[in-house]
Amino acid sequence: MLIPVSISISVVIFLIVQLLPGDPIDNLIRVGSSTEDRKTLVLKYGLDQPLAVQYFRWIGAIFQGDFGEAIVLRRPVADLIAQNLPYSLRLGGAAFAFSSIAGITLGTISATTRSAIVENIMRGFILLGSTVPGFWLALLMILFFAVQLQWFPVSGAKGWSSLVLPVLTIGFGGVALVARVTRVALLDVRREDFVTLLHAKGLPSRTILFRHLMPHAMLPVVTILALRIGWILGGAVTVEFVFGRPGLGSLLIRAIGQRDYPLVQGCLLMLALAVMLGTLIGDVTQAAMDPRIRETKK
Amino acid sequence: MRYTIKSRLLAGTTLIAAGFLSNAVVAQEVTIAFPADELGATSYNPVTSNNLNSAASLIYDRLIEQDADQSYHPHLATSWEESTDGMSWTFHLKDGVTFHDGSPFNAQSVADWIPDFADTENAYLVAAVASVEVIDNLTVKFVMSRPEPSLLYNLASTFMGVPGAAAFDSMGDDFGVSGAVGTGPFKLDSFAIGLETVLVRNDDYAWASDLSENQGRAHIGKITFREVPDQSTAFLELKTGGIDLLLGVPTPFLEILKAESNVAVIQMPGTGINYMPINVTSAPFDNIKVREATGLAINQEAIVASIYNGVGAPAHNFLISSLPEADVDPALNVSFDLDRAKMLLDEAGWMMGDGAVRSKDGVPLSVKLFTQNGEEFTSLTQVVQAQLADVGMEAVITVFDSSTIRDEYKNNRHQLAVRGYDWNNSDILDWFFSGKRLGYPNVSMWEDAEGQRLNDVAMEDSTNSDERIANFKAYHEYVLSQHLFVPIYQPTKNIAYNSDRLSVPDPVRGTRFRSQTVLDMAVVE
Repeated sequence: MLIPVSISISVVIFLIVQLLPGDPIDNLIRVGSSTEDRKTLVLKYGLDQPLAVQYFRWIGAIFQGDFGEAIVLRRPVADLIAQNLPYSLRLGGAAFAFSSIAGITLGTISATTRSAIVENIMRGFILLGSTVPGFWLALLMILFFAVQLQWFPVSGAKGWSSLVLPVLTIGFGGVALVARVTRVALLDVRREDFVTLLHAKGLPSRTILFRHLMPHAMLPVVTILALRIGWILGGAVTVEFVFGRPGLGSLLIRAIGQRDYPLVQGCLLMLALAVMLGTLIGDVTQAAMDPRIRETKK
Repeated sequence: MRYTIKSRLLAGTTLIAAGFLSNAVVAQEVTIAFPADELGATSYNPVTSNNLNSAASLIYDRLIEQDADQSYHPHLATSWEESTDGMSWTFHLKDGVTFHDGSPFNAQSVADWIPDFADTENAYLVAAVASVEVIDNLTVKFVMSRPEPSLLYNLASTFMGVPGAAAFDSMGDDFGVSGAVGTGPFKLDSFAIGLETVLVRNDDYAWASDLSENQGRAHIGKITFREVPDQSTAFLELKTGGIDLLLGVPTPFLEILKAESNVAVIQMPGTGINYMPINVTSAPFDNIKVREATGLAINQEAIVASIYNGVGAPAHNFLISSLPEADVDPALNVSFDLDRAKMLLDEAGWMMGDGAVRSKDGVPLSVKLFTQNGEEFTSLTQVVQAQLADVGMEAVITVFDSSTIRDEYKNNRHQLAVRGYDWNNSDILDWFFSGKRLGYPNVSMWEDAEGQRLNDVAMEDSTNSDERIANFKAYHEYVLSQHLFVPIYQPTKNIAYNSDRLSVPDPVRGTRFRSQTVLDMAVVE
């Protein structure tokens, strides 16, 4: 299943980039270079070839582990991605951990507390979290925590303190989503007959929640979290830009602006792979958690 | 005897104290943010790179420096002579200059360096140099294959900072990435692509150009150059002390910055203009009268006053006013004249009817006005639209990103466009008006036999700089007479810094913010 998906993704990525108007050579040549210089560059990067030829050349090289060289940035694409990926992984990993832990906790609280006030606050928070755009939230965070309170640096990627605001910004949307799914799942499971039975047996409600309700409720949460792995890497694009952090997103924005074809293709391929891997990990985890899925897969 | 011991002890104490003092100076650290157009450099190799930022000018010295008035000043070359036919140049080099790796800078360093440009994209800088001859240890002669009046200009460019030949050869592709060797006032300490560049002071430095007050080593011990892509974030960093100096502040930000008590702003004369090319192949602009009227409708002075709060200068021709070629026949300069604009449109047959838009044979005078995204151009374009409306021309604005708009130009889908360039040499005329580059960069789509002849004369037949100035001036005047564009504005280059932490010389010498200014900068205690 993964192979046909990968092939079609590679075609789509290649076409999206190549069909954009504009070309990388204009971002490369400077005042004073001649029209001949331009032709030499077009020939050098094979941009005069038909798209199909260019595609097969690109995909052929990728199978040999060669992502090509960035046209405008002048470095091997693999090197650039390798330099930027750790920043993205650190940010993405921390945001992922934050949104799962905070989301599940908040969802559980809102499902188990019977207070109408807590309920409404949670609902409001979930609504805000799913609708506020990241780049705007990022600026608000900077204004409040970095400029007013001066707790964290405004931007950059030095040390853990500079990670806090971007993680909060990216994680915020995730927290809301995970909290919502956890809440709904817990409420659903609580209506099951076996829960009534457990209560009738006289088990403490805490034990029921953690030993019996949670494993059931976590199934949809894991699915959502797995889908978010790719989303977090991709969704970090604008946040990385605002916080001046290097990363796959910043690299992609710059590459798209300059129409640096090999680099855009490389970055998009990495993001697509991340989404596919995320889904795969989600499936595997689900199977490990749920005997029913294991059975049907056999 | 006793006395000598005492004085020796005293001298020793002074030395130790001096040592402490210099330690305090070493601790002076400054953080600078690159301007938006310098982001994303992937190498500090001046020979092969196509994008060099301000930090590169601190690592490498140039043979020659250029001042803001476009005059040339000696640096690593103390003096130079050009032969009368322009076929050879002799440079006398400064004595006692060493590279960061300790090797001496001499005539052989120059002879080793120039041939490295062959087969790179920067080869055009020295394309006219046939060979480099070492006359003696500190004298070098460039033998030319043709006269090159731009040679001094090229030598003053960042791309012609002199790298250490030994390191350049031994490091190969890693030169400028994992390490760099030049003769500049700062050494490359670390370079994280897309994040930051850390430079440390070259303590041996004693060969500054006469553009700096300070002729010794820099006052600042360590500089961190940071890449902050978002302008609002950069401003907040400056405000909170995360960044000490901000290069390339957009003019609309100046008012906000000036309101901050700890921020000082320096405005340097810019090196480019904002203008509106007119596509001469697209009706109604195939009629020269309509083109002229369009130019007369734009009120440059009002634009400078209203959008830019009086910062910068109006542009009335295609070149920045510090270039001698900008000094054309005043009658050819483009200036606001509403009545004449209306008269010319009447003559061209575009008559004012009942509405606000002129028409000819029932066709309204509605044109396409393109620009690229970014606050700088969009607000300017809106004012241009309003001023065109005053003469009865309706301009419909479309905003593109910078790559897409070039594609529109190349496919000849444009009529008017608001854009800018940044280049302080008159050969920019060839770049934007040569018939060989129709579409982009020749956005005016202008192809003209006389124009091409004047272009060829200016580009190829000038043997020395006086001839070159005269030839480019003639070409510039002819371009102006054809009404191919509307000059609008000469932006300033703006620098903002934290005045509680830093002192920066004002005015900044040179055409750009470079090593000469950094040498004079100091941390205020």
